[in-house]
Amino acid sequence: MSSLMTFLQLNVISDIGQKIYDSTLYMDRYKYIIEGLGNTLLITLFAVIIGVILGTLVALIRVTHNNDHKKLKILNVISSLYLTVIRGTPVVVQLMIMYYIIYTSGDAITAAIFAFGINSGAYVAEVMRSGIQSVDKGQIEAGRSLGLTQRMTMIKIVFPQALKNVAPAIFNEFIALLKETSVAGYIGVQDLTKGGDTIRSITYDPYTSLLMTAAIYLVIVIGMTACLSKLERRLHKSDNR
Amino acid sequence: MITVKDLHKTFHTLNGSIDVLKGINQTIEKGEKVVVVGPSGSGKSTFLRCLNLLEEPTSGEIWFEGQNITDKNCNINQLRQKMGMVFQHFNLFPHLTIKKNITLAPVSLKLKTQQEADALAIKLLERVGIVDKADAYPVQLSGGQQQRIAIVRSLAMEPDVMLFDEPTSALDPEMVGEVLQVMKQLAKDGMTMIVVTHEMGFAREVATRVLFMDDGQVVEEATPQKFFDNPQNPRLQDFLSKVL
Repeated sequence: MSSLMTFLQLNVISDIGQKIYDSTLYMDRYKYIIEGLGNTLLITLFAVIIGVILGTLVALIRVTHNNDHKKLKILNVISSLYLTVIRGTPVVVQLMIMYYIIYTSGDAITAAIFAFGINSGAYVAEVMRSGIQSVDKGQIEAGRSLGLTQRMTMIKIVFPQALKNVAPAIFNEFIALLKETSVAGYIGVQDLTKGGDTIRSITYDPYTSLLMTAAIYLVIVIGMTACLSKLERRLHKSDNR
Repeated sequence: MITVKDLHKTFHTLNGSIDVLKGINQTIEKGEKVVVVGPSGSGKSTFLRCLNLLEEPTSGEIWFEGQNITDKNCNINQLRQKMGMVFQHFNLFPHLTIKKNITLAPVSLKLKTQQEADALAIKLLERVGIVDKADAYPVQLSGGQQQRIAIVRSLAMEPDVMLFDEPTSALDPEMVGEVLQVMKQLAKDGMTMIVVTHEMGFAREVATRVLFMDDGQVVEEATPQKFFDNPQNPRLQDFLSKVL
């Protein structure tokens, strides 16, 4: 019976209190988690900002070029190249290239922010482009027929509608990005995953440390989902009959 | 007010080129109500859309209030402020309230303050009888109401001429009347109007001149009375016999 207990590692349950204590409060080990969580959120936040700005710019370049093939030729080529390379290579490799080749003088967190931001921008760009193109052409015509410039029409009429259409997809991208940052440990960033893993290596107890890490990600994602769906409902205010 | 000289428009598609407009010459004076009728594919909508350059003419000239708007140096945005346009599918901005739909352009272009624009919007909404919908969203309105709002939105720019592109074609039959009523009132107030429509009753009652387009050309133009009672062109005779 005891051999069966060992086999199934059921003793995990028996002294669970002690294990949690060892993995968190004992010798202030929880600080690995707190520091890691802070870095994970920091990287995600700034990467989202970079991703949205970069993605929107690239989407605008591609839409403008698609509408009139004479415009923004060179920028469009650069954008296409960017999308192909970023979407065609793994994010971990991009992360390491950023840290070990491009941004060698800086710290790992900044390198991670740029790597994830640039990576996310490529996905945001394609989502934004589909959003802009999903807005009825009649909307642009109506705006222009009132004397609004191309720019004003874009900002006041097309963009708000495009954003509303793609909000769920963009929100998904944010959530995916949060989880993707878990590979930041590859370049030595003390993020949440790395923090959990450090505790595992000290305590030799993978259950508590890793499940705790997973639970924290899960709670953040559930929180984000709740906030974002609230925001989405507000965006759809004008659809209520 | 508007002079069109030898207007041509060719669309380039994958299956080759289509000549939609084959040389149109027209002069429209201030206060005229010109109704354009014709079979589908005859180029009436394209002609109308060329007038405010939503379609770029392939060749020819369009003069509006003394300016050649087909000239490359012409500021088309400024001219469009003076040319209202009403679309078949209304094209209201779905993310904005009715009042915002109406005030967006005058306020964005700094022609009016938000207060002035709001006041004008309310006045215009009262005129078309839907002032209680000012804070509703377009989707909450019927087609007829939406089209009346679209007319108000154009009027809020205080245009010199109004272009109507089949304004009643997408409406349920029972809602056609309310939109035509607004257009008739507008005509009575002296607005210069160019209307592409299939409403022959409206053409007969309101038009000062009716144009019949076929195959990219204006083949007959006359006063409504002559146009409907004594058509000359055999193609027009055939057309009228089918629609009347």
